[in-house]
Amino acid sequence: MMVLRTLQRAPLHGYALAQQIKRLSNDLLQIEEGSLYPALQRMLKDGWLKANWDVSPTGRRIRVYRITPAGARHLEKEVSSFERMLEGIRFVLDGNQSPEQA
Amino acid sequence: MNIIPQIFQRRKIDRDVADEIASHIEERAAELAAQGMAPADALLAARRQFGNATLTAEQSRAVWRWAPFEELLANLRYAVRQLRRAPAFATAGIATLALGIGANTAVFSVVNAVVLRPLPFPEPGRLVSVASRNTRGIPHPDQLSYPEFFALRRQNAAFEHIVSYRDTSMALSGAGDAVNVPAQIVSWDLFDALRVRPAAGRGFRPNEEARDQRVVVLGYRLWHERFAADASISGRTILLDREPYTVVGVAPRDFAFPFENPAVQLWTTLAIDARSHTKQPLTEQAGSRFLQAFGRLRPGVTIQRGQTQLDSVAAKLAREDPDNYAAVAGTWITPAVDSVIGDARRPVLILLGAVGLVLLIACANVANLLLARTAEREREFAVRASIGAGRARIVRQLLTESFFLAIAGSAAGVLLAIACVRAVTRLAAGSIPRIEQASVDAPVLAFSVALAFLTTVLFSFAPAVRLARIELISPLKEAARGNAASGGRLRGAFVVVQIALGLVLLSGAGFLASSFAHLLRRDAGFRPEGLLTFSIGMPNELTRGAAHLPFESRVLDRLRALPGVTSTAAGVPMPLAGHEIILSFNIEERPSSPSNRPYSDMALVTPGYFRTIGIPLLEGREFTETDDGQSEPVLVVNRAFADKFFPGERVIGKRIEPGATADGVRGGMREIVGVVANARQDPLGAAPDAIYYYAEKQLPWCCLHYAVRTSGSAAAIQSSIRAVVAQIDPTAPVYNIHPMEASLSDAYRGPRFQMLLLGAFAVIALLLTAVGLYGVLGYAVLSRTREIGVRVALGANPSAVLRLVLRQAAVQVACGIALGASGAAAGNRLMKTIVYADAIPQSFLVFAACVVIVITATAAALIPAKRAASVDPVQALRSD
Repeated sequence: MMVLRTLQRAPLHGYALAQQIKRLSNDLLQIEEGSLYPALQRMLKDGWLKANWDVSPTGRRIRVYRITPAGARHLEKEVSSFERMLEGIRFVLDGNQSPEQA
Repeated sequence: MNIIPQIFQRRKIDRDVADEIASHIEERAAELAAQGMAPADALLAARRQFGNATLTAEQSRAVWRWAPFEELLANLRYAVRQLRRAPAFATAGIATLALGIGANTAVFSVVNAVVLRPLPFPEPGRLVSVASRNTRGIPHPDQLSYPEFFALRRQNAAFEHIVSYRDTSMALSGAGDAVNVPAQIVSWDLFDALRVRPAAGRGFRPNEEARDQRVVVLGYRLWHERFAADASISGRTILLDREPYTVVGVAPRDFAFPFENPAVQLWTTLAIDARSHTKQPLTEQAGSRFLQAFGRLRPGVTIQRGQTQLDSVAAKLAREDPDNYAAVAGTWITPAVDSVIGDARRPVLILLGAVGLVLLIACANVANLLLARTAEREREFAVRASIGAGRARIVRQLLTESFFLAIAGSAAGVLLAIACVRAVTRLAAGSIPRIEQASVDAPVLAFSVALAFLTTVLFSFAPAVRLARIELISPLKEAARGNAASGGRLRGAFVVVQIALGLVLLSGAGFLASSFAHLLRRDAGFRPEGLLTFSIGMPNELTRGAAHLPFESRVLDRLRALPGVTSTAAGVPMPLAGHEIILSFNIEERPSSPSNRPYSDMALVTPGYFRTIGIPLLEGREFTETDDGQSEPVLVVNRAFADKFFPGERVIGKRIEPGATADGVRGGMREIVGVVANARQDPLGAAPDAIYYYAEKQLPWCCLHYAVRTSGSAAAIQSSIRAVVAQIDPTAPVYNIHPMEASLSDAYRGPRFQMLLLGAFAVIALLLTAVGLYGVLGYAVLSRTREIGVRVALGANPSAVLRLVLRQAAVQVACGIALGASGAAAGNRLMKTIVYADAIPQSFLVFAACVVIVITATAAALIPAKRAASVDPVQALRSD
């Protein structure tokens, strides 16, 4: 979900993607390379991403991933279900407090 | 999922992932370098940070794969490479499995042919054997009489057909040389009941059971051999026993009836039994039980319901005619295929069990080989794990190697089985029904493949579990100092199980061998050397009353004149022929009602029979030429008869009245005038059978078999015998001409087959166990070389080292024997049910088997022990 959201902002290659996620989450989330690449391949296979070889501004051969319409739809679905879950969690947490408040 | 294009894209994807990861690491390194790190350090740090790049790449690629299949292929390739690199291990493993699986496949092909295969007719499940239930003594199936058969056939609604049949043989003349053909006398609906369409013509019709009808169906083989497969044979008249019969049809090529008996080539209706041969036609004699029968149940009718209906018919007969039917007031209905399998089921299944033990032993051996190999390869696995292989992947790799081993082993085993099946069937031909049909066919192959899977699971389970448990990295640190101790215990356990199983097989084989030796050694009760027996197909007009007597005495006189012949005689049944005639009798001192009378085997013989066969006279006298229809009615009995019916009494002079009748034969009491030794009717029976002998002239039933005793070779005289009989009557064929010694050895085929097969299994088991023990000890010595070296360096002398190794072997052997002894006793109890005589006490046999195991084990243990004792401490300490 985070990968899709990050790529929705801008197409990126693997290393940049990892850095970006780390930065966006204020270093709270550090994605492990060990799980990043298999995850990227999975999303490629499911048709959520597309990948192209490109040359970076520093002259390095990089593989740039961009999100597909199918990926965007999936992201939307994921986000909304995640938000519902968050809401649920918040509700439970609030509920736990309510007896004390009562 | 579109797999096919993906497979073609594979290389590109693999390359992409690898490049991408490399680029990632470089970029990171560059970044670190930019922050001021030395380039080499930066690269290392980047790598460290990334973690296991190979594993990541593999996992990334795995996303694209139909993973299990591709991994299997890769594993298989790797397995083949591994096995090629360890040819000794591969050969040992494959050969062991080939032995185990091959032996199992061969035996299963026998089981499949003999026990599992249904009868070759449509809806075979509805075919049942029909017999009466004789409740005298232990309830047992008994044959039917015609009146009983007619009643059962008429008065039931559960069967579509009930068909009677009985053995006979007919002399076919007028179509080439006179020949005797095994035949069956059947009720009309034989072919209808089996749902068989004749190859030419038709089956029988109901009206062809009438007394004056003479119709016959020819066997396919006879039709080819004697009638040139003449398509217009139907309607032709042929001569059988010199009587004209009309051919109505030809049976199909593979037709065999009685079930699975291809020898019978003629079928005729029971019309022939309706002729008045004796006082009363056979079809009206309620007391003459000589018919077998089978039925076809109506669809949906169970055997139980069929039996209930027939039981009520039998019960009614018993009420109406208790003299003839009181003892058989029920019926005995079993699946027809059981009548074919007969007593063969148990020996064949015991062999299957035994060969299963051999497979277990083979599996234990291969498991030990694998364990040893796993231990050797621990470093390899550790290296693979450290460069990114998942543990499950390594275990799967091991399983693949095992499976490949099993597949290669079973392929070799199947080839072995194909080679063996023919030898096995030849060895058992004639002693086990249907065994000629055994072959490695589709169901048998399926069985072998299933065995391959099963064995893979069995023998690779231990190494896989062990691998899953051990710390994969430690071998690298230890520099392969060897942690054989943990594996050693498991391997020791395998050897213990092997020894136990080997003991069971060995003592079982010993049991069969000793009982077979006893069988050969024990007295048959007559002298088979130089004795030749044969039969003559008598023309029909000579089979009535006493008409055959002049023919018979002419044959006997002419034979006696042949050079080398010392004596001749005739009799029926001959020794070893089985229980052909069983007849009840009334004892004068203890009369009883007809259905309660005692019974035993009986035989008809000519004077000189006992001398010719070689049965010693014990008391009284033999028959003479003057024991004929006019003289006092007499009998001779054997020792077993005297002991059974007149225990502790003098039997000479006792009088009994047998139920046998014939035209012009006086009924009433007959005096016992002689006692002879026990000649065996049933060669495999535990105890000799009681039998009483009639002088043939006092009961002129046709037809007797002939016996010739020669001073020279019994085989050499066969052609002169044929010539003599052909001179007397060219239409009377000579058949079943056999030296008695050959008949005796034929009779032992069954037990010999079982003994040889089980013996072979025991030898294989012993060899495998020895190899297993040798392997385990050898490996233990190898992995303890350093320790032994230290011991020797510290002053242990070679004999102490020898003892050290032998002690390990002794512990394993002792455990195995303790475990196996009770199994062996149980196995021998099972053996007892298929064996005829147990000559040697079981405990001795188990003990002897233990001794053999100990000797073999010692031999197997000595080699590694000697090697240990000769360890050079300097070399040993340098060996790592």
